[in-house]
Amino acid sequence: MPGRLRRAAKWRINWLKWFGDMMEAICKTIVKSALFFILAVMFGGSVAQAQTESRFVYANTSSFESLDPHTNFDVPSAAVRFNLYDGLYRWVDNPPQMIPWLAESYTVSEDGLVYTFKLRHDAKFHDGTAVTAADVVYSIERIIALGKGAASNYIDIVPPGTTTAPDAHTVVFHLKTPSAIFLKTVPDILIVNSALVKSKEVNGDWSGTWLARNEAGSGSYALVRHEPSLGFSARRFADHFAGWGENPIDELEFRTVQDINTRVLGLIRGDYHGTDGYLPFTQIQRLRQAANVKIIEQETMRIFLLSLNNAKPPLDNVHFRRALSYAFDYDGFINNILNGSVTRNPGPNPNTIWGNPADLQGYSYNLDKAREELSKVPGPIRPITFEASAGYSDTEQASIFFQNALRQIGIESVVKVSPWPVVLSHLSSSDTRADIVAHWRSAFYVDPNNWVGEMYGTRYQGKTSSYYSNPEFDRLLERALISNDQEERRKLYEEMTRIVIDDAAAIFVYSTRWNGPYAANVEGIRFSPVSNGLDLRWASMKH
Amino acid sequence: MRGLLRRLRRDRMAMLGLGLLTCLILIALLAPYIAPYPEDVWEFHVELRLSPPSTDTLLGTDRMGGDILSRVIFGARLSLLLSGISVGVALVIGGSLGLVAGFYRNWISDGLMRIADVFLAVPQILLAIAIVQILGPAIENVVLALSLTYWPFWARLVYAQTRSISNEVFVEAAMALGVPAWRVMLLHILPNIASPIIVRTSIGLGGTVLAVATLGFLGLGAPPPTPEWGSMVAESRAYFPDAWWYTLTPGLAIFLTVLGFNLVGDGLRDALDVHMRRGVD
Amino acid sequence: MRWLSIIGNRLIWFFPTMLGLLLIVFVLSRVVPIDPAVLVAGENASAEQIERVRGHLGLDQSLPRQFLTYLGDVSQGNFGTSVYTRQPIVTDLAIRFPATLELTFVAVIIAALIGIPAGVLCGLHRNSWLDHFLRVIAASSMATASFWLAMQLQMIFSVELAWLPLSGRSAGFIPETATGFLFLDAVLAGDVRLFASALAHVILPALTLALPAAATLVRFTRNGVIAALNSPSVSYQTAMGLPRRIIVWKYVLRLALGATVTQFGLVFGVLLAGAIVVETVFDWPGLGSYAVRSILSSDYNAVMGFTLWTGALFVLVNLLVDLLQAAIDPRGSA
Repeated sequence: MPGRLRRAAKWRINWLKWFGDMMEAICKTIVKSALFFILAVMFGGSVAQAQTESRFVYANTSSFESLDPHTNFDVPSAAVRFNLYDGLYRWVDNPPQMIPWLAESYTVSEDGLVYTFKLRHDAKFHDGTAVTAADVVYSIERIIALGKGAASNYIDIVPPGTTTAPDAHTVVFHLKTPSAIFLKTVPDILIVNSALVKSKEVNGDWSGTWLARNEAGSGSYALVRHEPSLGFSARRFADHFAGWGENPIDELEFRTVQDINTRVLGLIRGDYHGTDGYLPFTQIQRLRQAANVKIIEQETMRIFLLSLNNAKPPLDNVHFRRALSYAFDYDGFINNILNGSVTRNPGPNPNTIWGNPADLQGYSYNLDKAREELSKVPGPIRPITFEASAGYSDTEQASIFFQNALRQIGIESVVKVSPWPVVLSHLSSSDTRADIVAHWRSAFYVDPNNWVGEMYGTRYQGKTSSYYSNPEFDRLLERALISNDQEERRKLYEEMTRIVIDDAAAIFVYSTRWNGPYAANVEGIRFSPVSNGLDLRWASMKH
Repeated sequence: MRGLLRRLRRDRMAMLGLGLLTCLILIALLAPYIAPYPEDVWEFHVELRLSPPSTDTLLGTDRMGGDILSRVIFGARLSLLLSGISVGVALVIGGSLGLVAGFYRNWISDGLMRIADVFLAVPQILLAIAIVQILGPAIENVVLALSLTYWPFWARLVYAQTRSISNEVFVEAAMALGVPAWRVMLLHILPNIASPIIVRTSIGLGGTVLAVATLGFLGLGAPPPTPEWGSMVAESRAYFPDAWWYTLTPGLAIFLTVLGFNLVGDGLRDALDVHMRRGVD
Repeated sequence: MRWLSIIGNRLIWFFPTMLGLLLIVFVLSRVVPIDPAVLVAGENASAEQIERVRGHLGLDQSLPRQFLTYLGDVSQGNFGTSVYTRQPIVTDLAIRFPATLELTFVAVIIAALIGIPAGVLCGLHRNSWLDHFLRVIAASSMATASFWLAMQLQMIFSVELAWLPLSGRSAGFIPETATGFLFLDAVLAGDVRLFASALAHVILPALTLALPAAATLVRFTRNGVIAALNSPSVSYQTAMGLPRRIIVWKYVLRLALGATVTQFGLVFGVLLAGAIVVETVFDWPGLGSYAVRSILSSDYNAVMGFTLWTGALFVLVNLLVDLLQAAIDPRGSA
């Protein structure tokens, strides 16, 4: 071999030799250390952690991207809103009632425009400072300024800058117009530590960046740690004004566990002590058979509906909508697909709340009537679009199920499945929203306005997406929002409900039953349809 | 050619693969006749949902009560169709680009290959996911996405092969004789680079079936209730592990199909390589 | 000298490639029928608020202007903010990268432990029943859909036997880690529980990820061994009468491993592509699941950030492989 090539060849072989030696050495080290650690694990890993404090781990479906109580207003964020923060009043129990919380009492002026709240004197924030009226004023101003979360409850009613604090324990709200529901939405004004929050402000963002990852509340638990994709943990606030009973939970952890099977298995194995109560039927059955899990059953006010785009032809034609309402097999869906685990709810309001006409019938599955209504709709009918939410199998199954029925009356349709934020984004305009979107409507406050009012009032468009607009309905709604007379309001909401059903503004299917799975040694879960079992204030764990 | 077939016949694994593929194609072609409940592609019987395998429904029913065996059989049609068309389009487009680029070898070809490299710089499945997500879940969009994702592979392969062949004497001779470029490319170069393309096609079809299933699994694919293997596996997750039959069948279908393509491709590679260059695999 | 030319070559093409990639993703993201301003502003936002957000995000400028602004930001290390997590994307990527790296690393080890010995066996006993058997297993591994395999493994090991956790990287919070790599931190802190937990969580995903890579390794190692057996140096040694065992262990293996390593770029590509599906199925908080989640939630800034990162990573890996190849084979091949 020529000298150059021979040297090169030798170099090449040496490189290979060196490389081969290295690989061998690495392999041996890996195998040795793996063996060592496996041994260590086998002998060392079985040491149980000494349990002196009680720790409750809740497996949550979604992640907690932001802890800001004023910008989040969905069901999962109740974990933050109920445990880390307090409001003037609080919704508890089922049927839900409003109990005084940070406020002791309130008075309303004759004209319904001035609400005065007297605060209790012994409430403290987690940093030890007292909760004062100034904090309440700051909180409502912040909510209105940020304009997210619960703000839509107040924006039309409470003008910015009008809320006053005549003394440290009195707050006065000056409403623009009288409102029958204002009081019921007061629990959603969560009070933040104004001094602390103001000190973290950057560029006039109302400390939004800081409050998304930190906490400035007075609630029963104080934040310890937060990782957006993993969840958050909190420690019991011993000085909380409501005091503590026996065996309170010392540490709370809300952990994000998206996969259903992981949650169920974890509950059975004792890794988790609670999870959401809206699991599929088969999983609930599995949990019922586990000895260390108990299921708490409650009726909720969370209704499931197939919301229609009332502004887009042919859904703007009442006959078409009625045809749709007759074409859905309610009993088939409830009994077969959902194994009878939910209750038929034919109207927009939950069965359990006032405001439903006594003779409420709703629609039932009748293909002949559907065809009859359909014959009154002119012209060829374009394919109808569904949009279901990925991961929420009820919405997918309802859409596919309905698609099948529609085919039988000659209507073609397309089902699209998207993540919920995308579905939500489409709902914001009647052009982009799909014709039929299956979703739930939860209780944010307990008044029929939360359902029939907000879903079909023209003034709420932008907040909800039915794009239904009926002057007669709006007239009744305006009156109902102002009136002080409970009997009058009841009649008004009943009339509004009748209108909505007659107009078939949506397809109302069921109201959910909550089957809350908790570890058997957990007591004191005070379920309310507003907190959905995420309120652990009164919960206790026996060791 | 006869030697090639003989070698292929002796390769037992390749024969197994061929057998699988033949079954698959037959099943896809005869789907409406061999499926016990062909109407279950569109019809539902929710009273029967999630029933375990029985004498009526050999492989159980899904969440809408449809017979899983029938839906899997029809799923074969969909998978073959989608992967076939995607690979075909990618092959034609990528292959033509690669052929021309390899033949002319000027700055345009370099640029073309660089563009191909850009597409190859991200994991392919992500590109496919992004495209389908944007365009919306529909069969055409799946084909479009997969073609856009895979054309660079063919372009690169054909480019490299064309380049090496172009240096051969017979190509130079043809050019010197005044044969027009397109004839040289089609009639002289293409037949000689056919074997690696064929091998790659077979394996590529397998990979595309997997990609279609993955897209279906992520909810991007044919919209429901189209019976697609990947989306059936995704649906089964909520009922897992109780409804084990729901996951098993579509998964096995995917497995056997891709295995068939892979084994045939491997067999072809062995047979053709020995044919082309006697020596090492 | 070759080193410089290799590095230089790669670098010259790096920027145009990245630019092209960004352009593609940018165009894709602006074509999307979702209005990102609505997503950021939130559900209950009014029309003015949405307009305000749109201005804040710079969406009211012309498309080329937006692209240039984005490029400018990127060159300063600002990849934008994720709509979903509301954190800077750089932070998101930095947090998730160690998770993917750890998973891939364990997967590589498993793949090597399975694939290389199998490949060697195949190569040494070429065309025997063992060779055929292992090759079919390898082909089967490539044919199995990873999401399906993941579910079957979960069913056996997590549900039936309850040996291993179903999903995730850790059970809840991980202790404040120094490096982001759980194994390393556990060793550094002497925390056996953390090590055990990390191991238990990583096994199933790593196994699912490793199988296709192992199959690829089987093929390359087999080819490498066969080539080595036919090489002149080995023929020389056989002729010299050296025992076969010594030939195999001392020379064939090294030659084969050397050949395998040059294909590492391909294995890396297989692993990264596999990680995307595996991370999604196992809820592993890494880059793969981040990418999928970002695409599905139309969080296109995050998608572009991820694309940049992965593209750069690919180029780096290919560069390293090229250098390694040049080092091993100075005569140079392709």
